[in-house]
Amino acid sequence: MVLKLKTFFLLAFPVFVFVIILWYGIGWNIYLSMTSYSMYNPRYDFVWLKTYNELFSDKDFINTIKITFTWAVLLVLFGNFIGLLIAVSIFQFENAKIRSLLTSYFVYPLAIPLVASGVIWRWLFDSVKGFNVYLSRIGVFKADWLSGWNALWSLIGVSVWIYGGFIALLYLAAFYNVPRDIIDSALVDGADAFTLMVKVVIPQSKLGLLLGTIFSLLFALQMFDLPYTILFTNPFTMTMVMYMYNKFAYMIVNISAAACTFLIAVSAMIVIPYATYGIRKWILKVI
Amino acid sequence: MKLNILIASIVLILFGLFWAIPLYALIIGSVKSLADAIESPLLDLPKELDMGAIVRAFNLLINAIINTAAVTIPASFVAVLLGSLAAFAIYLRSGPIADYVPPLIAITTYIPYQALIVPLISLIRQIETIFKLPLYDTLHGLFMVFLIYFTPMATLLMFIFMNNLPREIIEAALTDGMKPLVVYRRVALPLLSPGFVATLIFILIQMWNNFFIPLSMTRGYEKHVTLKTFGYVGEMGTIYNEMFAAAAISSLPPLLIFLFLGKYFVRGLLTFTGGGR
Repeated sequence: MVLKLKTFFLLAFPVFVFVIILWYGIGWNIYLSMTSYSMYNPRYDFVWLKTYNELFSDKDFINTIKITFTWAVLLVLFGNFIGLLIAVSIFQFENAKIRSLLTSYFVYPLAIPLVASGVIWRWLFDSVKGFNVYLSRIGVFKADWLSGWNALWSLIGVSVWIYGGFIALLYLAAFYNVPRDIIDSALVDGADAFTLMVKVVIPQSKLGLLLGTIFSLLFALQMFDLPYTILFTNPFTMTMVMYMYNKFAYMIVNISAAACTFLIAVSAMIVIPYATYGIRKWILKVI
Repeated sequence: MKLNILIASIVLILFGLFWAIPLYALIIGSVKSLADAIESPLLDLPKELDMGAIVRAFNLLINAIINTAAVTIPASFVAVLLGSLAAFAIYLRSGPIADYVPPLIAITTYIPYQALIVPLISLIRQIETIFKLPLYDTLHGLFMVFLIYFTPMATLLMFIFMNNLPREIIEAALTDGMKPLVVYRRVALPLLSPGFVATLIFILIQMWNNFFIPLSMTRGYEKHVTLKTFGYVGEMGTIYNEMFAAAAISSLPPLLIFLFLGKYFVRGLLTFTGGGR
């Protein structure tokens, strides 16, 4: 304990203010969700869980839950699968320069605005000018990429394109942490590249799977920009955040706050174990 | 060539081609002429290079780009500066209070930030009425909200970077009687500079690409580049060349940063997920 308490608070003061504001926001959401406050009824009457009753009897909200969870599950499955495939392939190259170049290449979708990706993909899915032209040229089917539930599958595909490289990066980071002597001794024992990956490197990289899963879930729970840019408020791609934003935009504030609270509660189930585990890891530097 | 390299190359080329399609479409789409964009499908090469769409999109976007730069560059810098100071304080003051701070910060960083927009905007409204200072739909208001959202994230990243520093050097400087701020500037900051740059670039790209915060904090489409690009989509209807030009221009700054300083962005990204190397 080298730093005086006063100095500690002075140095960290602005951050404390911001963190307190964000925590106040969480508390405020919980409080507001138990009142009847909206533009049509601008009074903070305390109604306990009545708002939640209203929220969960709204078919639209149930739908957004289903969509968000489907999105989360499929992003976890395909994101991890494709991320792992890319990571394993990049790992085959010994040259560090080639590795980092390839990794950056697959991460680039994360560096451009989701709105820009949305604009591009909207047109790639266009029935007259997009993929369909080329698919029908080579005699394959034409798909209605953005009609009905197809829209959800297409957008989930886009999200795999966005986050797949990022998940590959997480796996690669885990691969690089596999002790070199374990790899060397497996090679001395005559393991080929395939056996090495499947029997040694991948089993040692559970952290990649853990982080890939956690962050796919978090990104799916936050999904907003992409569906909003591509299809605006299409009911087939309406995520929880979009529902919450819509209610907020129409000033039905208590319902919006209840949806926020639900979203925070779901995320907290993922975040809290991870954050406490992470802190221990960062401080003790153990994995 | 070894078999594993061969298979890896095939996998990477297949996925790599797929990864390239949107970027390719974006680039060739934005240099097509109007006639070309009306006739030809997305992935066909342009018949002639036409910079018209880019020039028109640039003229329409330039205000929003200046606004975005004026907000995000200082905001990201201040966020990382404040964050690194706080991280420095937490790092040095281990003990009952300091130990509870990082998890509290981490939780606010990882929960969906959109869920806090309603209370934040009503707080902004209250500050407006108390201090008679317009904040909603202003650039300084946007700056403030960006700062509130991203400073905790910057603190967390800097805290992780700081935990990889040799403790002895900093503690020795402190026991030598140097003031904490002097130790921060002369000892900690130079050691931390790669982490500082990584955090700065990561946060800057996050802010530049952000859509939700400006959408909720402003009216119209002028105050942030992603908003303007989004507004463009509604205006342009079915002509894609100008829309793609707008998307290309708004992606160019983060893409250029990524191209030249990608190493730092990747490091920031890995640290965001919890301290990979």
